Amino acid sequence: MPVNQSVEDKIKEIATRILRKSDITFSRTTSFKDLGADSLDIVQILAAVEDEYDIELDDEEMQEINNTADFVAYVERKIAEKG
Amino acid sequence: MSLKGKVALITGGSRGIGRAITARLASEGADVIINFFRKRSSAENTAETVRAMGVNAHIIKANLAEPDKINAMFDEIKARFGRLDILVNNAASGVARSAMELDVDGWDWTMNVNARAALLCSQRAVGLMQNGGSIINISSLGARLVLPTYTAVGVSKAALESLTRYLAIELSPRGIRVNAVSAAAVETEALKFYTADPSLPPPLVTGTPVGRMVQPEDVANAVAFLCSESASMIQGQTIIIDGGLSLTFQGHADRTPSKGDTDASN
Repeated sequence: MPVNQSVEDKIKEIATRILRKSDITFSRTTSFKDLGADSLDIVQILAAVEDEYDIELDDEEMQEINNTADFVAYVERKIAEKG
Repeated sequence: MSLKGKVALITGGSRGIGRAITARLASEGADVIINFFRKRSSAENTAETVRAMGVNAHIIKANLAEPDKINAMFDEIKARFGRLDILVNNAASGVARSAMELDVDGWDWTMNVNARAALLCSQRAVGLMQNGGSIINISSLGARLVLPTYTAVGVSKAALESLTRYLAIELSPRGIRVNAVSAAAVETEALKFYTADPSLPPPLVTGTPVGRMVQPEDVANAVAFLCSESASMIQGQTIIIDGGLSLTFQGHADRTPSKGDTDASN
């Protein structure tokens, strides 16, 4: 399985658990709010992703992100930066 | 008021009020353990700042809503330090909802971080306080007064203040004092999240009898005092840091009906 797909699948797994939804789809036109997430859900998703990859997601950088596909790309970038 | 030789754990100790408490205890000579939730860079920055004061500083990441993470944190403290003298239950989180809009997840999250974590941390801390110690719980005026959309946090802080009293009596034979510090709105970044009234903070400045808002350092000074021998007969108390604000009559309740179940059959 390609590395990029693996990160997306892991984030979907986290979102599925926290949002208690199945068949979650990420795209550039779908935000976490579109998936039913409130502010608490988003904090918990961010914390879980950070724990999973031992990275720190910057809240100011993430203000530029408004869809789930871009969020996956951002996480992949943070993983790559960590080395 | 020397705390030299003491080891202090401050939950949420990397930013805002927690950072001020960390710095204040370090300035009195205590080695500090800084717990943080997400912002490792802030925790490392705070640790570097207090190391410059000549004390040891260690950071530990732990989501206090998860009991196993709390246990892992204290396992690390036990292995690394072997003791604890001061526990400051400062970390707090919560959802801003009216009582009628507050859901189960929001209630659980807020209560677990703000109250349950204080209990679990205190239980583990006691095992490391073999020579007595001090536990300080950070509360807020919302525990006693009604603030807009502050339901979950206010209720959790009320629970925390009651827990303070129960722990104080139960832990007295062990030489452990337990007290709380309750503050009015403190001028930090976190305040902006809970501001429901866009006209804050000017009314808080003009409405506070002493004429200014509470600063993080005001809370930190109270914590440091409560940890000292000068406070040796203060047990189970909640010290209010608000410049006299809570003594005054504000009288501007919002009469706009909140959302929520309006089924006439209830």
